Amino acid sequence: MSGSSHTNPADVVATRWPRVLRRGRMETVATILIAAGVLMLLQPFALVLYTYSFVTTLAGVVMFTIVSKFPD
Amino acid sequence: MTGLVSAHSVVDPSPLTKRIAAIVVIAYALITLVPLLWIVMTGFKSPSDAIAYPPKLVAEPTLEGYCNLFTTRSRQAPEYMAKLPPASGLCDRISRDRNMVIAGPSNYIPRYVNSLVIAFGSTALSVVLGTLAAYAFSRFKVPLKDDLMFFILSTRMMPPIAVAIPIYLMYRELGLSDTKLGMILLYTSVNISLAVWLLKGFMDEIPREYEDAAMVDGYTRLQAFFKVVLPQATTGIVATAIFCLIFAWNEYAFAVLLTSGTAQTAPPFIPIIIGEGGQDWPAVAAGTTLFLIPIVVFTVLLRKHLLRGITFGAVRK
Amino acid sequence: MTDQTGLSGLVDRAALVTSPVVARRVRGLSERAIAWLFITPTMLLLLAINIFPLIWTIRLSFTNYRANRPNATVLDVGLANYQSILTDPDVWAAMTVTARFVFWSILIQTVIGFTLAWLIDKKFRGHGLWTTLILLPMMLSPAVVGNFWTFLYQPQIGLFNYVVAALTGAPASSFQMLAQVPLAPWAIVIVDTWMWTPYVMLICLAGLRSIPDYIYEAAEVDRASPWRQFWSITLPMALPFIMLAVLFRGIENFKMFDMVNLLTGGGPGSTTEMASITLKREAFEKWRTGYSSAFAIILFVTVFGLANIYVKALNRVKSR
Repeated sequence: MSGSSHTNPADVVATRWPRVLRRGRMETVATILIAAGVLMLLQPFALVLYTYSFVTTLAGVVMFTIVSKFPD
Repeated sequence: MTGLVSAHSVVDPSPLTKRIAAIVVIAYALITLVPLLWIVMTGFKSPSDAIAYPPKLVAEPTLEGYCNLFTTRSRQAPEYMAKLPPASGLCDRISRDRNMVIAGPSNYIPRYVNSLVIAFGSTALSVVLGTLAAYAFSRFKVPLKDDLMFFILSTRMMPPIAVAIPIYLMYRELGLSDTKLGMILLYTSVNISLAVWLLKGFMDEIPREYEDAAMVDGYTRLQAFFKVVLPQATTGIVATAIFCLIFAWNEYAFAVLLTSGTAQTAPPFIPIIIGEGGQDWPAVAAGTTLFLIPIVVFTVLLRKHLLRGITFGAVRK
Repeated sequence: MTDQTGLSGLVDRAALVTSPVVARRVRGLSERAIAWLFITPTMLLLLAINIFPLIWTIRLSFTNYRANRPNATVLDVGLANYQSILTDPDVWAAMTVTARFVFWSILIQTVIGFTLAWLIDKKFRGHGLWTTLILLPMMLSPAVVGNFWTFLYQPQIGLFNYVVAALTGAPASSFQMLAQVPLAPWAIVIVDTWMWTPYVMLICLAGLRSIPDYIYEAAEVDRASPWRQFWSITLPMALPFIMLAVLFRGIENFKMFDMVNLLTGGGPGSTTEMASITLKREAFEKWRTGYSSAFAIILFVTVFGLANIYVKALNRVKSR
């Protein structure tokens, strides 16, 4: 906050940051993972899907928490 | 587009549409109010009228339900009854007619008082803590602000039964099981999320210029907060307090799992009001009516802020 | 307390009473210090009542601890609790019962709620009063009112049975809403719908009112039919709000406890045994604390994930 630098640090990071890993896109992926996990938990069709639902949701939640720190 | 057209805009529905809409909405409202009216009416019926078939729309009103709600009674032999001095009060007379004697007060009033103490205690605590936190989140740069705000909100979404397991163990260790303090702290932790989110929204709407002006006049930040921001935020604080009050008043899951005696609130108590041979429905209805009245009043008071409250301040209309 | 302005007077007097050194220190409180001073109490409370217990639950979920036997030796069982929950067809059945309840209750509430909101948005005379009346059920205690519905559902004497009998001609004693396998889930859906349709309605109404008039006026100029206007303007523009209501009600109904516990307690058999009822049985009746902790964590993570999506939806609505 010293006001000495004229370039916004966020811009620098954003340009270096790979396009695929931008926050919005990654959040969408995480959201899909969570939604898939919840659907697997609640579906009445296959026990296997139910078994792996928790891992899927957990992965989605962890991913969501991490990627929400990524620059836009 | 002339002024005439836009004043009575082309999208204004026709009178016929309005009438049909009104009929459907009013019909829905009347149907959903039937269960509530039935509760109030059942409270004034005698036990036999309450379980009559077909259900009695009109019955001779009696206060028996309310008497049974507030007292415990015991059945006595007619010889014993004959020897008693004359009945002293209305409830006394009603129970004598049923060959019963009032044995003492019921637990309803203590449970109701518990509900009051716990609801008001947790509301006061959540609003005070929530106001401070909301102000900080609204005005200052707080590191990880969004994460903290989300964390605060997510605590409210947690399934109560899942939270109750460790709380049960923790309170057992700390001696807080079945205490009012324990319940106040627990309800505060649930309510504080709503308080912070709602109040942050209200604070965001108070222009910063007011405080800046006060601080130019020599106020410190704290003085500006107390003298300028708090008075401006009164409406928001009151609305938030009512929301917290309603939640704490209505809460059942924690109460039924974590309290059993001294700190039990009314919601777990009302369903277990029983008379001879099963539930005493007029008494249950009477207890329910008395329990619901404050909320009905609050809902009417709160109607302009309801939307804000149920969306955690996101939708402001 | 002769001061005229309560709190603010208090601050002034505190400043007068305290020694100059302390006063300067207080006056000199930096913004950062005030920020932390204001946030810390909230955080401490949440740490004590939410985070610490959560960590404890995670720890317990890897053990075979039983809360009713505090002196028994506690064994570390690794992931066995999770494994047995996630491969148990009975728990899976509880999840599908929950799913069915969530699906039907939310679907019905959304359809009725949106329709009502759309009708109220026609702004007929007196719509404010009727809206407030419609909102009443959702403010009331689900437990206390849910309990009363068991009375309305009584076979023979219940008002609900009587009304259904009067409308369909079937005798009122021929069906038991809470005791018959095919009917019990619907009994709960009906009470939930009665209670929470107003919630969906209120949010949908906000969505409809957020659509600016000029869009409809433009559509009118283009001679778009009311039917087209509804599908291409009203519905898409209200959709974020509908999503918000659906998500929140979905989370709430996923963890539904009070109403089910009072109406059916999970019965008849296990027809209405939802996840939270199973959890309550394991934790507070069978006292399998370690096992139920693992179950609790599974529900936690699911709700936490949904809460993430919910906040995303909230922010989207907020920017409108």
